[in-house]
Amino acid sequence: MRRTGIFYAQLGLTILLCLFIVVPIVMSALAGVTVNVFQGLSSGLTLRWIFEVWDLYASSIFLSLWLAIACLFVTLIAGVPLAYVLVRKPGRATRLFEELLTLPVAIPGLALALALLITYGGVSGYRSSWLFILTGHVLFTLPFMVRSVAAVMSAMDMKTLEEGAASLGAGFWRRFFTVIVPNAKPGILAGALMVVTLSVGEFNLTWMLHTPLTKTLPVGLADSYASMRLEIGSAYTLIFFVLIMPLLIAMQILANRSSKPARATAEDK
Amino acid sequence: MTTSQKQASQAQDAGTAIALTNCAKTFADGTRALMPFDLSITAGETLVLLGPSGCGKTTILRMIAGLEFPDAGGAIHFGDDDVTRQSIEQRRVGMVFQSYALFPNMTVAENVAYGLKVQKVGKAERDQRVREMLEMMHIDMLANRRVDQLSGGQRQRVALARAIAPRPRVLLLDEPLTALDAKLRVRLRTEINALLRKLGITAIYVSHDQEEAMALGDRIVVMQKGEIAQIGTPQEIYRAPKTPFVADFVGASNCLKVDIENGRALLGKVDVDVSPAWNASQTTDGLSEIYFRADGLALCAADDAHFTARVEAVSYLGERLRVTVSGIGEEAVLVDTDPDTNMTPGETVHCRLVPERLTVFAAS
Repeated sequence: MRRTGIFYAQLGLTILLCLFIVVPIVMSALAGVTVNVFQGLSSGLTLRWIFEVWDLYASSIFLSLWLAIACLFVTLIAGVPLAYVLVRKPGRATRLFEELLTLPVAIPGLALALALLITYGGVSGYRSSWLFILTGHVLFTLPFMVRSVAAVMSAMDMKTLEEGAASLGAGFWRRFFTVIVPNAKPGILAGALMVVTLSVGEFNLTWMLHTPLTKTLPVGLADSYASMRLEIGSAYTLIFFVLIMPLLIAMQILANRSSKPARATAEDK
Repeated sequence: MTTSQKQASQAQDAGTAIALTNCAKTFADGTRALMPFDLSITAGETLVLLGPSGCGKTTILRMIAGLEFPDAGGAIHFGDDDVTRQSIEQRRVGMVFQSYALFPNMTVAENVAYGLKVQKVGKAERDQRVREMLEMMHIDMLANRRVDQLSGGQRQRVALARAIAPRPRVLLLDEPLTALDAKLRVRLRTEINALLRKLGITAIYVSHDQEEAMALGDRIVVMQKGEIAQIGTPQEIYRAPKTPFVADFVGASNCLKVDIENGRALLGKVDVDVSPAWNASQTTDGLSEIYFRADGLALCAADDAHFTARVEAVSYLGERLRVTVSGIGEEAVLVDTDPDTNMTPGETVHCRLVPERLTVFAAS
């Protein structure tokens, strides 16, 4: 293939754009392990900042992970049956409900948080516990779980599958757990990863809802940027990055796997 | 037949008789899907519900399955057992769907074992029974395949094995062959036929294909707009359709409007003795309609002819030549002839009615 000047121009532009995005990430990561960021790399590399972040914010990190798991648990228990009902019983009521469900995604997190504060801010035990933040996270992530599961469910002709299982004597719960759930697995997995990722990274809502004792990872990050050395903020970013990257990669792999077409069917002999 | 197949067929319950009494179906939106009807199916019989889409045939099947319930006043019995209010899970029916409805998360063997697991059949017996079913359907080599690795024909064989495995009281088949290509359809049809005879199971088969219905049914129920138009053996339906709709649906689509007087059909100057058909029809004299297939009219020499007609179109079907002719009645008529005949559109031909192949109805 003959490569023209245009090809090289395009290649150059693409590389520049990539660098534009990638360089800040690298800079930030490097800053987290540099002794003094204002002197640059010549000042030497260190893990000191990482340990410092760990000392200061380990509880935030664990709280975030705990919240993500709890949020996943709740969205699974609520989201899978909800998606089932939405797909299985289409109608005006379910459509309306679906819209309502999606509302928290469209509304700014701050507004949502404000509404929660106005309503439940006075319930002190609740207001100051991690459950308050969990509520916000569930509201925000549930639509993603429902959408993801519903998409897979509506592609699989659940009605006929269920009728088939029922004709073989299987009652509702048996059908749900042996036929519906296993076949909705790609959607459930994708939804689960989405929920965990969103919950770990959620800032808007959480920033409004948190108390000094219920600080999550992103809230801690903001805090460290605002009140600590730049190196510490950057080291924090690095930790965040290490936590969230595997999730993102797993999500991508799953998405690829479920979009791959079924293997070609064997011909009838 | 292998020993295991023999055991399988002997172990199969003798068929269950089914009776639907005064069953009607009105959907929630007020549409009347089925007018009240009675239908009884004898034990071991294969009954085909035949009709165009929307005629209510599938609704009857789903009513027997327990997926729809008849309006108040209707009753369904499996033998002496009143199942009217039973759900599908309780009825012990085997179902085969047009879209297969196999569970994609399970292998072929797991699909077939599903009903047995629900019935809490022990593992050893279950494995044994699954093997028998797969052998019977000639798919034992596919036992560990995933459903998405199978062709349509293989899928439907798995679906049949799965439906039969738990020894249902009745086997319900909802257009199982419609999604398959023509050649496979005929082959699988033959296999299903042999299977139903061997098992002696009561079977209800929904179809919109007249040929399929003829090939499989001990009796055929022809449905029209939510009502039973005719029930009869394939021969009765084919040779003695009771209404113009049935006649048309089973292929006798040629129609002539005539005046009948004392068993003679009068059409213009033509006067044909149609007494055998007329006597059978029990219609009175007067304006009538004659229905017939492409073999109810024959091309002949000018001297024997009832009609002179004009050839409109000719299609070569291999074993015969199908000619569309006009000028006999209001509408064009199809007539079959020797495939070696030379015939071109525009040509004039002579033809005569074959009285024993006609069906007479009072004019609608």
